[in-house]
Amino acid sequence: MRLTLSLVLSCVAASSPLTAQSPTRLARVPDAARPAIDSLIAIAVAESLPTEPLVQKALEGTAKGVPPDRLVSGVRRGLLQLREARTIVARAMPAGQSVPEGHVAAVAAALARGLNPTVVERLVAVAPSEPPAPALHATADLMAHGFNADSAADLLVEAHDKGLRGDRLLDVATAANHELQRAGGRTQADALAKVRAMLPNVPAPVTPVTHHAPKGS
Amino acid sequence: MMLDAGGGMSPIDPRLQEALDNERDPGDLPADQQDAYARLMTAATLLSAKPAVSVADRVMAEIRAMPQQLHTGNRWRRAARWLTRPLAVTLRLRPAWTLGLAAAGLAAILLLPGDENGPELPRASEGVAQFVGHFPGAQSVEVVGSFNNWSRGKLHLRDENHDGIWHGDAVLPAGQHEYMFVVDGERWVADPLAGRYVDDGFGVGRQNAVLIVRQASSEDTPQQ
Repeated sequence: MRLTLSLVLSCVAASSPLTAQSPTRLARVPDAARPAIDSLIAIAVAESLPTEPLVQKALEGTAKGVPPDRLVSGVRRGLLQLREARTIVARAMPAGQSVPEGHVAAVAAALARGLNPTVVERLVAVAPSEPPAPALHATADLMAHGFNADSAADLLVEAHDKGLRGDRLLDVATAANHELQRAGGRTQADALAKVRAMLPNVPAPVTPVTHHAPKGS
Repeated sequence: MMLDAGGGMSPIDPRLQEALDNERDPGDLPADQQDAYARLMTAATLLSAKPAVSVADRVMAEIRAMPQQLHTGNRWRRAARWLTRPLAVTLRLRPAWTLGLAAAGLAAILLLPGDENGPELPRASEGVAQFVGHFPGAQSVEVVGSFNNWSRGKLHLRDENHDGIWHGDAVLPAGQHEYMFVVDGERWVADPLAGRYVDDGFGVGRQNAVLIVRQASSEDTPQQ
């Protein structure tokens, strides 16, 4: 009897990822949206996709008071981005190597920031064993300041080739944006050439705590 | 019978015994025996008197006189009385252990970081995020984001000098976070100074600020 009860409870827990993962966190989600969100998260689990971005999106929409239909749409959009991200990462990884969950979440975030899949795949393929988020964010930062996506990716690949890793790649974008803003009316090409010449010795942040991209002025 | 010097019993003088037995007038006894008679009678009087009540007797008498309702109330009332009644607790401490505990407490106070000078120290996988926003006239500004599960009331900014510049620090996990400011508890505002933004995906064109927290102990220094 006790064994049967345990098996039943195990099956219920396995079929209810929302409850199993974070019952306290998701208790805030409105009842009208919860079954649909539960289903979307269950799909993510079944497809071995990371679920935390979906949980966060559900919590975000709940906190903002988003109506249930739009809340569900936002989570569904997140699921689609995760699927696309997983496809991109799988293409970029060497044959036979598994797709890291962290890569998928980082690539999905980059897609949400507007990076095109081709550039993302290229940047992931350059260093498939390293977390791709810094290179992807650096590229997105450059694009936000008007740099061409391919030129930005070229600069980041070169920085990686010259030994820069991790958050230091963010400093490459910061340096290029600073060069662009210098007096004298530099063009994007001028700024890229200047930074390329200083690689790998781009300036580090004074206090390496947070990185806010410089505002355009 | 009397005890002799060696502890054995010695026969009492027959005249003294007769006086003690009221068979002879004590005044007829010789002077030394009259003294002995007087001492023995004093001792006999003391022994025959009712003994004084001892402290233990008085305590036991008071306990017996205590009201019986302590034992007759319901069990919850008795439990409540037991829980609220002051109890004497005796601690047996070894001085060496006491000193050791005191030293450990002092060391903890001195070594553990306090929060007087800002946020706690970040661990290896964390960094310090600094938030600043210009919201003149605001009564409150808080930061709500993925790092606190989009929960309200977790991270409030401060404006000590009331110049409209609100600021605050937080130790966060390294990596990407999305967040917004909530002004006066109801107005959601993307951080104007964030520099990175992403559509929030709920279909009304609202954007979240994107924050990338770098590890405080980052080792990715420039390579020569």
